Amino acid sequence: MSWEIEHILTRSAARYLRITGWLLIPLYFLMVLALYGAFLYAPTEKVMGEVQRIFYFHVGAAWNAFLAFFGVFLGGLAYLITRKQWWDHLAAASAEIGVVFTTIVLTTGPIWAKPVWNTWWPWGDPRVMTTMVLWLIYIAYLILRSSLPEGEKKYRYCAVFGIIGFLDVPIVWFSIRWWRTIHPLVITGTGAQLEPEMIHALVVSVITFTLLYLSLLMLRMAMRLNSSLAEEVGQRLLEERVERV
Amino acid sequence: MNHITLIWIIAEKDLRIEYRSRQQAFLTTLFFALLILVIFIFAFDPGSRATRDASPGILWVALLFPGVIQLNRSFQTEIEEGTLCGMILSPVDRGVLFLGKLVANWIFLVIIDLLILLAFVIFFNFAFSSQLLWIVLLIVLASVGITGVGTLFAAMVSSIHTREVLLPILLFPILVPIILAALSGTQEILIREQMQSLNRSIQLLVGFDVIFLAAGFLLFEYVVGD
Repeated sequence: MSWEIEHILTRSAARYLRITGWLLIPLYFLMVLALYGAFLYAPTEKVMGEVQRIFYFHVGAAWNAFLAFFGVFLGGLAYLITRKQWWDHLAAASAEIGVVFTTIVLTTGPIWAKPVWNTWWPWGDPRVMTTMVLWLIYIAYLILRSSLPEGEKKYRYCAVFGIIGFLDVPIVWFSIRWWRTIHPLVITGTGAQLEPEMIHALVVSVITFTLLYLSLLMLRMAMRLNSSLAEEVGQRLLEERVERV
Repeated sequence: MNHITLIWIIAEKDLRIEYRSRQQAFLTTLFFALLILVIFIFAFDPGSRATRDASPGILWVALLFPGVIQLNRSFQTEIEEGTLCGMILSPVDRGVLFLGKLVANWIFLVIIDLLILLAFVIFFNFAFSSQLLWIVLLIVLASVGITGVGTLFAAMVSSIHTREVLLPILLFPILVPIILAALSGTQEILIREQMQSLNRSIQLLVGFDVIFLAAGFLLFEYVVGD
């Protein structure tokens, strides 16, 4: 009996949970600081007004989304090389978090864009379009994940799609930017120069979001390790019962 | 045997299967494309200026959706007949296998697309001029990129029972660069009738083709696996 493997697995799941716990302490203070920075410390933007404050969360979420999708790429690449399931857990957890944060980007964006650009959804802007395509790619990734039965094949396919998806993003950005140049310009630059206080608030916000990503990642990794362990134990118990009969 | 011969043997096998099945899938796909065009004609007044401006988009919708159906077919019969195992076991490089399937898919796609283009020109009342040859070129180039990723993904989803829905979901977001380049090229030809930025479209398409082909070629090995 190789209960030792399971022992290691549970221990590592517990370790991730412990890391999450430790991350939550600085995260708590940083979040208060980031809120203070975004709402009180940073000055109100002269032209856009209070609505500009959403920027600190928008950029933080966008940063996290790209970080997470880099995690999907890295996890997929490392899985194909090492064939260790741990990397697939990393990719899967990152994809879930990435989709959540891209959704935040795509909802905070229009809230800001409507009063400032007078449109909810500026289709001509390469950033908006690329984020939209990014969102679609990783939703597709999650759909692919859920349609494949558990096993080595699933991890391989998801790794392949994760790698192509990530490499596609800069090409999408480039092609949209190029495509826009032959279309009428809807928006000409964001124009806003950032005050030093604004930059401080932004930096704090980005650091906070990065920590949030890491703690969510650890949480999801622990959950995935536990669930694959539960499956394994269930399988083994079933086999033992069959042997006894 | 050299690689080119091997690639052609695999491609020819697919073409022959399709021919002997009385082009059933081929005709169904073509019919589907015609339906799309007809629905667009119902939706927009064919004579109006607005429809003319929207026509490149309509053309590419009618080219893309049937194309996905055709791609889905390419591994379906292999799975149903259990021949994929045989092909993997045969002493052929995985890259050759990929290119063989790709060439067959590409030929199918180009033939279907040209017939759709013919129907499009007639339905939307465009003139048969030498400019159409540029659209043919765009179709031929775009098909390379589409089948490059498409063949890879078709192999991936072939064992999943929801493959018909899954393939376009996986494929279209990835193909955005190809679609944009082909679309803007078609707009240049049909609406603006100027050739300057058409060159750029073609260059971009070639570039994207190389990227997507290389990605498909390198990653196919991991998809067919063991």
